[in-house]
Amino acid sequence: MTYIENVLVCMAAPLLVTLLLLRRKQRPLLLFCLAGMGMCLLAAYLNTFFAQLYAADAVNAATQIAPVVEESMKLLPLLFYLAVFEPDAERFRLAAIVVAASFATFENVCYLTQNGAGQFVYLLIRGFGTGAMHIVCGSVYGRVLRPVWASRPLRAACLFGLLCVAIIYHAIYNLLVSAGGTAQLLAYVIPLLTALGFRLLGRQTAAQRQ
Amino acid sequence: MLELWDYLVQFAVTAFGFCAALREYYRARRQPWFLLTCFYATFALGTLYWTLHLLLRQETPQVFYVADLAWIASFVFLLALTLTLPAAEERRFRTRLCRLVPVVCLPQFILYVTYGDVLSNILMCGMTMLLAWFAVRGLVWAKRSGGARLRRFHTAVLAFAALEYALWTSSCFWVSDTLTNPYFWFDLLLSLVLLLLLPALRKAVDA
Repeated sequence: MTYIENVLVCMAAPLLVTLLLLRRKQRPLLLFCLAGMGMCLLAAYLNTFFAQLYAADAVNAATQIAPVVEESMKLLPLLFYLAVFEPDAERFRLAAIVVAASFATFENVCYLTQNGAGQFVYLLIRGFGTGAMHIVCGSVYGRVLRPVWASRPLRAACLFGLLCVAIIYHAIYNLLVSAGGTAQLLAYVIPLLTALGFRLLGRQTAAQRQ
Repeated sequence: MLELWDYLVQFAVTAFGFCAALREYYRARRQPWFLLTCFYATFALGTLYWTLHLLLRQETPQVFYVADLAWIASFVFLLALTLTLPAAEERRFRTRLCRLVPVVCLPQFILYVTYGDVLSNILMCGMTMLLAWFAVRGLVWAKRSGGARLRRFHTAVLAFAALEYALWTSSCFWVSDTLTNPYFWFDLLLSLVLLLLLPALRKAVDA
C-alpha cells in the first residue's frame, strides 16, 4: 500500500514554509504548485473509487477512467483562478503550466514509491514522456481558455471542448503505454513532439504579432 | 478489418481537415477557422482513440466510451460555428419546416436509448438535432433571401447530421463486417462530407 497523502505532506511541507517567507506577489506560483499536487492526490482517490465502482481492471482504469478524472481535476484550480481573479493571458498560461508540471511531478514521485527507482533509463524516458503529456494538456488550457473567456458562447464551447481534447489526448497516451512494445515507445515520443509543435506555433504567432 | 480501414480513412480525412483549417486560421486569424480547427481536432482524436482501441485491444471500450466525449466536443464546436456564422436577420428567422427535424430524429433517438445509455444519447442526439434544425433554418432563409453565402455550409452541416443518424441507426441493426453493411457506406459518405466542410466554410467566410 502506498500512503500518497504522506508523500504529499513531505513534499508540501517545505513549500508551505517557503510561502510564509515570500512576498505577496511571489506567492501565486508556489500556490499553483501546491494546487497541482493536491489535485493529483484527489485524482488518485477518485480513480480508485471509480475503478472499484465499475469493477475495472488496471488497463481499463488507465485508459477509460484516469484520463477523465485527472484532466477534470487539473482544470478545477485553473477555472477558479480564471473565474475569481481574471488574470491576463500570460499569467494564466504560466499558472496552467505550473499546475500541470506539479501534477506530473507528484504522479512521478508516487510511481517511484510504488515501483522503485532501479531502472534509470526507463524512468528517464517515462519521466519525460509523462511530464510532456501533462504539460501539453496544461498548455491546451493555458493557451486557449483565457483568450476565449470574454465571449460567452465561445467560453462554453471551448471549456467543454478543451477538457475533452485533454481527456482524449491523455487517454490515447495511456492506451499506447498500456499496449507495451513499440506503441509504448511511440507514446513517450508523441507528447515531446507535440510540445515541440506548440513551441513552433508559439514562435510563429509571436513573429506574426511583431 | 473493414471497420478498421473505415476508421483509418476517417481519421486521415479529419487530420487533413485539421491541418488545412489550422493553416487557414494562422493565415486569416478568423474565429470560424478556429472553431473548424477545433471541430476537426476533436473529431480526429475521437476517431484515433477508437481505432487504436480496436487495433491494440481487439475490443470496444468496456467501462466508458472516452471517444464519445471527443465526438460530443466536436458537435459543440460545429454548433458554435453554426450559431456564430449567420447574420442577425437569419438568426431571428423562424420557419415551420424546422419542426420536421424532431419528427425525423426523435423516433431514432428512442431506438438508440434502448441500446445504449441515456445521457450520452441525449447529448449526441440533442446536439445533432440542433445542428440539423439550424441548417434547415439557414437553407430556407438562403432560398427566401437569395443569399448563397451560407448555402453550401448549411447543406454540408445538414448532410453531416443526417449521415450521423443513418450511421447510428444502421449500427443498431449490424449486418456484417463486409461491404454489404450499409454502416460502412454511410461512414465513407460521412468522411466525404467532413472534407466538404472545408470549401463550404471558405465560401461562407470569403464571400
